Amino acid sequence: MSLRLQPVQVATGSNDIESQLAFAGGLLVAILVQLCEQHEDQAGRWYLEAGFGRLDQPHAPTFANLEEAQDWIEQQLSSTAVPTS
Amino acid sequence: MTMLLRKLESIATLSEGERGAIHDLPARARTIPEGQDIVRDGDKPSQCCLILHGWTFRYKLLGEGRRQIFSFHIPGDTPDLQSLHLHTMDHSLAALTDATLAFIPHDSLRELTLRFPRLGAILWRDTLIDAAIFREWMSGMGRKTAFGRIAHLFCEMYMKLKAVGLAEDYRCPLPITQGELGDALGLSNVHVNRTLQEMRGRGLITLRNKTLVVHAWDELCRSAEFDPTYLHLSKTS
Repeated sequence: MSLRLQPVQVATGSNDIESQLAFAGGLLVAILVQLCEQHEDQAGRWYLEAGFGRLDQPHAPTFANLEEAQDWIEQQLSSTAVPTS
Repeated sequence: MTMLLRKLESIATLSEGERGAIHDLPARARTIPEGQDIVRDGDKPSQCCLILHGWTFRYKLLGEGRRQIFSFHIPGDTPDLQSLHLHTMDHSLAALTDATLAFIPHDSLRELTLRFPRLGAILWRDTLIDAAIFREWMSGMGRKTAFGRIAHLFCEMYMKLKAVGLAEDYRCPLPITQGELGDALGLSNVHVNRTLQEMRGRGLITLRNKTLVVHAWDELCRSAEFDPTYLHLSKTS
């Protein structure tokens, strides 16, 4: 499945604004937001602000970079297991 | 046993005889380091603990390292009192900070409640209040925003600490990390961090050096939909 990212700015109610929409097969599957300096040791990481369908997580993960985020998204989308988290 | 007396007298009135019986309970004090389990899911304990100093929390571990924290406990609380009647632990209890605990044998507590049935009723009242707190947390996690959940927890902890003389002037210890707040309230670290920033930005609170200062109590309560009735701190309510 081909993933495509599109830069966008999101009103998260914080200084976390720079974001990427993630599309899989043309459909929006996730919104990733880069964490600003107020998150200290987490700053610069990408946070799963919203995930749809199989990417809807009660405990949203963060990723070191967009490659890691895309790997995770692909893995979740291709997984046949029932999501537990 | 002064902390237990303080706690029970925050929710009920005790007679001299009852006070004496609690005072004479045999107990062995032990200090548990921060992060260490006190009693674990599946254990069959033969004693309950009373917190003398420090904080503890109840939790359960799920798959993939997920943790749900159910409650935070402060001096005067007996967070595993249920083990007196429910013999197998269905969750774990751990030290949130270094904590000094007095371990009271089940046999002694059982005997106390037989000799002083009114004390049994007061301990029962305490466990019913515990259940009321769970209902509030459930309403929060099911229906409140991150802001409402965190604000509610701050109001609750302040009121509980104040009732046992450990808080005043809208200032109290709050040794809970952002990760622990998230695990307790079903929020990610990121969401907790943003929400705390917003609370600070609105001038409602300061949270520094494990101390919470509430600058606008009424507004914090309003935004949390906090009504302290469920804590039943008045002895007759």
